[in-house]
Amino acid sequence: MCHRTVVAVQREIELRGLTTVLITVSPDASRQMRPPRALYPAGFKIGNSLGRPGMRELQTRVLRDALQLIKEPPRPGEIVEREYPEYGAGEQ
Amino acid sequence: MAQISRKCVPFTPYERELSRATVALVTAAGVHRKDQPPFNIADELGDLTFRIIGGEDDTSDLMVTHHHYDHSEADRDINVVFPLVPLRELAREGFIGGVAREHIGYMGYTMQLKQMYEETAPQIAEEIDKKSRADIIVLTGG
Repeated sequence: MCHRTVVAVQREIELRGLTTVLITVSPDASRQMRPPRALYPAGFKIGNSLGRPGMRELQTRVLRDALQLIKEPPRPGEIVEREYPEYGAGEQ
Repeated sequence: MAQISRKCVPFTPYERELSRATVALVTAAGVHRKDQPPFNIADELGDLTFRIIGGEDDTSDLMVTHHHYDHSEADRDINVVFPLVPLRELAREGFIGGVAREHIGYMGYTMQLKQMYEETAPQIAEEIDKKSRADIIVLTGG
């Protein structure tokens, strides 16, 4: 649900002429709403959009990759999936 | 300005360098300041309001009120859903130009979808457009 409504907000912001990027961990829900730009960190669970607690380097890398999508060729409505093996390695 | 693509997805290109961009966060994960009213999780219809979080706010002053996902890890480190500290790090290293002065948290769960889409979403967009002075907005679902 949150991963659908957030795209509605994203699209409203984009319509106003601001550039947006979504980080989603529920890509099927987000895809239904066609986000202007979106990153799915593969396998991240809900509640872990950026990674796990204290994994500051991973969190920063995910955020940097999401922002970098803005400079890549446009794929409106699509969700770009990236692998972050250190997320699995951090499992407790 | 915004363009409508062939697939009817609103799309605004960002022509400048990321290193000049001011970036704001918007999250559906139920994040708010501890001194703000929590989202109303007693109402099964959901809560259509949103909270404004300052760019300088201490992340230890933030919390989550949301009953439709497990936020125990966000309770330990809010940056897993609301990456304000990583955003500051990217500004410090010059990857982005700066952190916006205003960010927004709301609770993305609602049964009142019509109001969410027709009222809350445009209100959040208006707030971030007029007050945050951001060029780029990063959103998280939770």
